[in-house]
Amino acid sequence: MEYIRKKINLENYTVRAIPKSVLVKNSEGKTVINTDSPNYYYGTIPQYKIDSEGNFKLNPFGQKIVNTIDVSLFLTQKFDDMGLFTDAPYTFSTQTTPKPPNFNSFTYGRLAGAPLNYYYANNSFFSGNTDDSFLKQVSSYRKTNTGQDIYVPNLNTSSDQKNTFDGVIYDDSDKTVYKIGANSSNVNDTGIEFTTFKNIFEKTTDEFGKSYNFKKTIFSSTLGGWNEYNTSLNAIYKKEEYLGVVFKPEVESVVFINRGIADIFERHAILSEIKTTNDIDTNRGGFIRI
Amino acid sequence: MATGNYGTIRPADVSVDDVEIFYSYTPNRELLTDVELIPLDPAEVLVPANNPDNNTEIFGGLYTLQLPTSVFGSKGFFNIIIRPKQIRTTIQDCSILVDNQDVKGIVFDINQIPEDLKSRFENGNLVGYRVEYLKEESGTGQDKIQNLFRIITSNNRALPISQNQGNSNASVAYTFNDNSTSVFCTVTPSSAPSIKPNATPFIGNPQQDVILTNTFFDPVMLEIEMVEFDDETLAYALFSNQTKSLEDGIYTIYNFGNQIYRQYNLYEVKDQFSGKPLYEVREQKFNIDPTKDFDEITNF
Repeated sequence: MEYIRKKINLENYTVRAIPKSVLVKNSEGKTVINTDSPNYYYGTIPQYKIDSEGNFKLNPFGQKIVNTIDVSLFLTQKFDDMGLFTDAPYTFSTQTTPKPPNFNSFTYGRLAGAPLNYYYANNSFFSGNTDDSFLKQVSSYRKTNTGQDIYVPNLNTSSDQKNTFDGVIYDDSDKTVYKIGANSSNVNDTGIEFTTFKNIFEKTTDEFGKSYNFKKTIFSSTLGGWNEYNTSLNAIYKKEEYLGVVFKPEVESVVFINRGIADIFERHAILSEIKTTNDIDTNRGGFIRI
Repeated sequence: MATGNYGTIRPADVSVDDVEIFYSYTPNRELLTDVELIPLDPAEVLVPANNPDNNTEIFGGLYTLQLPTSVFGSKGFFNIIIRPKQIRTTIQDCSILVDNQDVKGIVFDINQIPEDLKSRFENGNLVGYRVEYLKEESGTGQDKIQNLFRIITSNNRALPISQNQGNSNASVAYTFNDNSTSVFCTVTPSSAPSIKPNATPFIGNPQQDVILTNTFFDPVMLEIEMVEFDDETLAYALFSNQTKSLEDGIYTIYNFGNQIYRQYNLYEVKDQFSGKPLYEVREQKFNIDPTKDFDEITNF
């Protein structure tokens, strides 16, 4: 727990203004303060915010504004990775929960009664730039007189032509438009579409610092996001032995123990329970291995 | 060693609905009475800052505590504790999973949870919550079991399944089922302590009252000392404008805005018989004389 000490001067909140409206003449004709006036707050800290004339300030709704002493503070959260969780099947609720407005799977998590399609966020469009390395993959084996590859629209160059279409769908003197990984029965709506511009070259350097040129290529698809092919719902629970374990340990020649709470006695305490080599094979879900 | 696990400190973006605030007041440090903690409504006094580029997005970390002057306008010491909200409930059952019988957990009944807090008990939402235990026998001194807590590592709706154990015996284990109103929570540590590898770890007992606390932010305690003077008010006496009325002996000190800060009566005490001056007195005047307005006096 963080401990913060502050010193605040109440004088900063004390009213020192004396409005003209609270001044009256006494029987001697001398100007004095009418301390009974509702606008008189001199030397006090009012409960509600007032203006220089001692009238209440109002918010847009016509309500008095509570006078406050404001203190800024910074709240933090310290967290540690708990490590691996375990997926488990579960029984789906027989009652489908109405989809909350602006449902966000990250906010709601696995909401009981929420079917898998609540979590879909599909058909999102994405695009980007890349090099022309895929262009060679869709060329025909023929070449022009000048040695240039010839691209034939609708020629499927995939090795699995029954299911997959890799090939050119449009070609002219400026650009070649082609698909990689499209479904043979629905080329237009599937696959990644590439467009390579024949006359626009870009320059970059490889990992060894050698520069090379390639034809400008853009890719795009509308198949991004979550859908039935990459989404599943599972009950997720935690096995104690995986606390703090992010990847399954790969230990071949030393005894490995990870119990979440580790101290210098743990290794010896667990080893003291091992009587045979079979114990090592079966102990702690395979965490102890030779 | 396993690799890749991480931890960090991040600015908290906790909702004020998940916060509790208490304060105590003492006029001085010498008070011997017990500390009385009084709750404050976080929705009224804690305001998160918004991102300047998007006023519907919380900035994160930065909050303003708006302390009402009706409560905090007194000289003295205010201790303000800002901590994660607590949920009190009862353990419905303690058991294991049908499909993984070395996984132990505690079970809560969603129907026992107040309506506005039920969403916290949906699948996965209790992860990170701290469980603290109350003694099962009340009236035995301290009700809370001190220095004992567990952290919830997962929670899922689960249904009890009776398992035949032979010899006319049966036990209950749980299977994940979203139709259930019971919530099975795994907690850590639930394995044996390292110094007693064969000991059965305590994670709670059925019908035991517990306190669930979120860990969305680290609690903070502020000690705010409300004072009447600081460097600036002392500077009024040294550097600000002052007037001394020669007619009635009223000595006025103004703040830097030329508002009357203090007034004093200046007079002499003389011997009533000889008229010999005995004392020069400066006595604070509480009935402020408004005619000593600095701007009016100097407006000639």
